[in-house]
Amino acid sequence: MRISRKPSVSIGLLFSQAGPYQMMGTEMLKSAMLAISEINESDAFDFTLVPHVRDPKGVVENYHAACADLIRDPGVEHIIGCYTSASRKQVLPIIERTDRLLWYPARYEGFECSDNVIYVGAAPNHNVVPLVRYMLEHLADSAFCVGSNYIWTWESNRVIREIVSAAGGQIIAERMLDLGETSVAHIVDEIVARRPPVVFNTLVGQSSYLFMRAFHAAATRAGLAVPVLSCSLCEPELKLIGADASVGCITSSGYFASIDRPENHAFVARWKARYGADSSPSVDGQYSYVAVMLLARAIRRGGAADVASVRSAAGNLRYEAPQGAVWVDPGNNHCVATPRLARSVQGFRFEIFWEAAQPERADPYLSDLDLSALDRVPASSQRTATMRRPSYLRVVK
Amino acid sequence: MNRGTTVPTVRGRHALVLLRDEPDIAVVRRQLDRLGMGVTVRRPGEAEADGAGIDLVFLDVDAAPEVGGGWSLGECAPIVAVVGTETPSRLKWMLDREPAAVLIKPLRSAGLYTAVVVALHQGQRRRETDARIEKLEGRVRSRRTVSSAIVRVMTRYGLTEPDAFALVRRAAMQRRTTLEHVCAEIAGDGELPLRAGVG
Repeated sequence: MRISRKPSVSIGLLFSQAGPYQMMGTEMLKSAMLAISEINESDAFDFTLVPHVRDPKGVVENYHAACADLIRDPGVEHIIGCYTSASRKQVLPIIERTDRLLWYPARYEGFECSDNVIYVGAAPNHNVVPLVRYMLEHLADSAFCVGSNYIWTWESNRVIREIVSAAGGQIIAERMLDLGETSVAHIVDEIVARRPPVVFNTLVGQSSYLFMRAFHAAATRAGLAVPVLSCSLCEPELKLIGADASVGCITSSGYFASIDRPENHAFVARWKARYGADSSPSVDGQYSYVAVMLLARAIRRGGAADVASVRSAAGNLRYEAPQGAVWVDPGNNHCVATPRLARSVQGFRFEIFWEAAQPERADPYLSDLDLSALDRVPASSQRTATMRRPSYLRVVK
Repeated sequence: MNRGTTVPTVRGRHALVLLRDEPDIAVVRRQLDRLGMGVTVRRPGEAEADGAGIDLVFLDVDAAPEVGGGWSLGECAPIVAVVGTETPSRLKWMLDREPAAVLIKPLRSAGLYTAVVVALHQGQRRRETDARIEKLEGRVRSRRTVSSAIVRVMTRYGLTEPDAFALVRRAAMQRRTTLEHVCAEIAGDGELPLRAGVG
């Protein structure tokens, strides 16, 4: 047996494996562990990563203690983790005070730019903006918004409302459920009664799966074909929602397992080899994988694992990730990445129907959003007269 | 610039603390205690404190009513908004409550005294401005009464407008009342002031 003589770098992994979004936390942890094994087995890196896992169980208050624990002992410089913005906000003060680096893999609502965070996931211009734009250009100029009652929904709804209003459209209603809430019938009933052209879903976790199932059943009964739009749905969630109810959802994301490029084929194959042929990587998982890869490459480039060296080495360091080329913009610590739109199809997969021509800079404050340049969907009378129903619309028989 | 500005006294003032996170509450409690201020804490979901005797309010902008936190605030003391998430949706919620001062989370002892002073000062200014506006609005409302009263005096005594005005003003001073009050009497078909003293 060959004994590794490589020096090791301790890193923290902060993912909830219990609570309302346990599935996503577990997927993210699995992806990060896959990346760590690959780094440790690779001859291209002259160090190994030693993961220290903490599980805050989806309780916001636990994040602070878990993070403090990682910083005190084993004393990590880098922490990869957090899924919700509420949890990120919990750890941010201690991360900044102790000058550590948080590698935040999830998409988020923007309006933050800490020197002590690398924002690996999508910013609002990668995520909600292309989806609303698509809705306006191809589907409808009004939407019914349903979401989990926290900052992600509040801010997404604001962006949706701002863009839709600028295009002369309107938000029909905004309905919210507390995180983890399982009673969805009243919202489903309201949607069926009001028959909006589009439902914008920013529910997360269990609430979302229950909603998708109940809405599919109710819409089928009522003979409605209302497309559901999402900024967060991923392949493992389609499976939890179920075969029919998960089909036809138009989703905005930086990563789908169906991305057709060699780096992704290889990634999906390695994932399936490790976690089972039935399983599939997810967007947040892939971002967690990318976070580890970017960190390892920055350590290698800078020749040291301390925060100052890594932060400076990570800037503009291009990595051919499963999701496409990605690199950290040193101007705002957010990743430059390619936005995509897809619709969910049978088999718990997404069919990608649009992607940006090249990776796009994150615009966390939406400073570059030009509302005057929006196209609007043709009036509904013209639409039915002149346009064929687009193939991505779910037709409920 | 106002040379007459004084830094408001904070000792003895009472703050209502509507915050969600315990570390923030602890920082506020400790620092306001050092400043000699009283503190009432209400966490999300707890019953509202009586607004009486409250000089300023610390309000958590992240704990909106929508999340079951939330505190309904009617007419109240000046607000120190405590901001965590700097998204426009939260900032709009904050602006709707017209904060007098703003603090950014995580709270620390530095900055709290400044926020308290600014909030108390702004609160005082706002009360003065409101009183002034109320007074001016009263004047605007009575302008029609004043002009019709002046016209009546001009016609009755054959005076120029400045002379009629001077006569009414003198009558108001003699009776220790306001010009508007005298004019309301004249306009309401009351007695005309004596012409004595008018040249």
